[in-house]
Amino acid sequence: MNFSASTTAEERLERINALISRVEKPTRYMGGELNMRVKQGEGLFRFALCFPDTYEIGMSHLGSRIIYNVLNNREDTYAERCYAPWVDMEALLRESGEKLFSLETKRPLDEFHVIAFSLLYEMCYTNILTMLELSGIPLRSCERGEDAPLIVAGGPCVCNSEPIAEIVDVFFFGDGEELVNEFMDAYAEGRRRGAKKRELLLDLCAIPGVYVPAFYRAEYENGQFARLIKTEEAAPDCIERRIVRDLDRAEFTGDLIVPYMSIVHDRIALELFRGCTRGCRFCQAGFIYRPIRERRMSTLIEYADEQLKRTGHDEVSLFSLSSGDYSEIHEMVPAVLDRYTKNRISVSFPSLRIDSFLKDDLEKMQGVRKTGLTFAPEAGTQRMRDIINKGVNEDDLLRTVKDAFEAGWQGVKLYFMIGLPGETDEDVLGIAELARKVSREFYSMPKDKRGKGLRCTVSASTFVPKPFTPFQWEPQIDVDEVLRRQALLRQALKGIRGVEFNCHFSETSRLEACFARGDRRLAEVMIGAYRRGARFDSWDEHFKKEAWDESFAERGLSVDMFANRRISTDEPLAWQHMDALVTLDYLKKEHERAFEGIVTPDCREKCNGCFGQKCATHCGMHSARAEGSL
Amino acid sequence: MRIIAAFSKLEPVKFVSHLDMQRLFQRAFRRAELPLSYSKGFNPHPLLSFATALSVGYTSESEYFDVMLDEYLSPEEFTRRVNAALPEGVRITSALDAGDFKGSLTPLMRSADYDAVLSFDAPVERERLEAAVSSLLDGELIVDKKTKGGIKSVDIRPMLLEASVADYSENHARLEIRGVLSAEGGLPPELLFGVLEERLGASFSRRVHRKKIEMDWSDLKL
Repeated sequence: MNFSASTTAEERLERINALISRVEKPTRYMGGELNMRVKQGEGLFRFALCFPDTYEIGMSHLGSRIIYNVLNNREDTYAERCYAPWVDMEALLRESGEKLFSLETKRPLDEFHVIAFSLLYEMCYTNILTMLELSGIPLRSCERGEDAPLIVAGGPCVCNSEPIAEIVDVFFFGDGEELVNEFMDAYAEGRRRGAKKRELLLDLCAIPGVYVPAFYRAEYENGQFARLIKTEEAAPDCIERRIVRDLDRAEFTGDLIVPYMSIVHDRIALELFRGCTRGCRFCQAGFIYRPIRERRMSTLIEYADEQLKRTGHDEVSLFSLSSGDYSEIHEMVPAVLDRYTKNRISVSFPSLRIDSFLKDDLEKMQGVRKTGLTFAPEAGTQRMRDIINKGVNEDDLLRTVKDAFEAGWQGVKLYFMIGLPGETDEDVLGIAELARKVSREFYSMPKDKRGKGLRCTVSASTFVPKPFTPFQWEPQIDVDEVLRRQALLRQALKGIRGVEFNCHFSETSRLEACFARGDRRLAEVMIGAYRRGARFDSWDEHFKKEAWDESFAERGLSVDMFANRRISTDEPLAWQHMDALVTLDYLKKEHERAFEGIVTPDCREKCNGCFGQKCATHCGMHSARAEGSL
Repeated sequence: MRIIAAFSKLEPVKFVSHLDMQRLFQRAFRRAELPLSYSKGFNPHPLLSFATALSVGYTSESEYFDVMLDEYLSPEEFTRRVNAALPEGVRITSALDAGDFKGSLTPLMRSADYDAVLSFDAPVERERLEAAVSSLLDGELIVDKKTKGGIKSVDIRPMLLEASVADYSENHARLEIRGVLSAEGGLPPELLFGVLEERLGASFSRRVHRKKIEMDWSDLKL
């Protein structure tokens, strides 16, 4: 019980430890892991790096690990971690009146100078509310006084951060490696001067890539978003996305913290490159991380060697949005396999397109530990794949699975989407046709040449339109239609040997679409749902539909008006003040080409001009092409 | 070669589960660059096994594991290298070359000594506490035990070898408990504390520390 207000730090620590001992997974809150950064001393800026999901998910996020290192490499700052408390810890915190605390020093969050959230997916927003409330911090930016910590956020959702614009004080748009340092410099300078919050925000909004939503006001007409009006002269009209130009020399993770518990990605993760040149029209990541920037193979191997030594991990994952596009991939794969597999370290290349060069390496890849192969054709027919600009054809796919089967693999996962713009029943049935061909490919091989039994999992998720994609104007199909197409596919897949169907449409896909394209009115809806118990909305077992339905109704809004509406291409968009570098004109052009079924080539072949005027200054592909390195 | 090692698991890592301790050691071994031997088969893993598990939340200065190495390493060298790689709170306290001993450590276990510091929610008189503790040694100790087949009533009295009050102050007490610990099972301290709370009519939080596991080393020709 918290009877006295003035308790010593040790007593508090004792009480926190008592709470930790009572939860199902104490290691989520314990801290003290190997390679955790420890800093002592007065006058440090306290930066809480928060992830609005559980420890095992947050600790798997590479971006947060990079920012943790960048901030802690500063002498004036101590960055500590905090994750969303699971429901058992939340209940204990509420019951005991203790505040949510950091893992490193167990300091209550409201004693930090800055609280930062990573926004990886829309469905984590209610957890931000939990974390603020459990720290005794008012939820709305306008309710927080001079003494409250500054609430900042970064990550892909900042593309359209309007639904939480009234919660967060400062957004970081784009790559964070350099931006957080510039932010901390300006923050430190402001504090030294004794600047008030408004002054500080004015300083901050001058940094490229910083968005201070309080300096803008939204207006609505006829129930729709109409415009955003600047209320502060000094605030920029447009916030340009930040890009780290030289990724190879950018700061990385430093020594990785080694968790005690098993986390989702329990391995050394190395980013081969950022960005993607493919231009799949549904894929937000494909647009908002442009241009493509690589790390050198020698740099990556250096990181891998170092991290293996410092962590004792036995698995290295070399990832990117499309690893087959890495310029040194044909040297890289055999080199790392040779280097590590003899030491029983398994190496994985998620999102690697296996081509003929890499066929021989397939066997080595499964040598250490057997994992499944994953392919994402995304759509079942060539017509549909042309609409979405997914440059995969059936022959490539079948040839690749054949190679994999010959190398002894028998588990294959095929990822598809249903509800894509322009989809017909034939396209849905095409998914089953493709699965049938994969199955036939396996069973037509002689028994001694292949594995015993095929395990082919067909997964179908539901299309979610996302800002800064050519499909940002497209509606999500409604629930009944999703269910009908799923049933159609399930029926068509019946009886195909070795094939299993895995689909789940939950309300969360609808809500995701709603928040992805939402505006500022959603903040109150979200707070209302949170008050009714909405938590961990991306976890099916926690999703509370009634809480959301009631809250939407209360505000006179609906999920459908955001998720299921076709937006006309000349309508104002709630995120149009964000300059993601890819131009609106380019997205419109791609939108048109989609419905004409015209594919757009990979931009390494030919510049498609997606940055418009800024191609020359911001892309770097021009100069790279001139140098002949592409 | 095979090394048998004793280790301590203290306050900073007391919430790390048994499964996570195995991974913790495997990672420490790799950081220490030990010449580990691996199992054959589909999913090769280091040949590391623990004598027994320790309850989550307990500390201990007497846990055991054995591990196979492909090359000879003196037990001193082993201890030095592993300790340099272990996180705070876990330490190898001694190690020995197991020679040609082939068996598992688990059947060598005989008993375990626990130190339990109790913190009472409300003051309890010493006499009442002592009476309740000594009553544990009289007659049966029927508890509900969770097993794979559901909840079963069992008598844990045969598992309890000694129990006494070692230190006392109004709100705190330290008990010394010795219980059976063997391959077939052992004293479940938490169930014993449950009985004690019932007989005392008072509840308490506790810190439990395993001081010693008594092992029968006679099969090992050391």
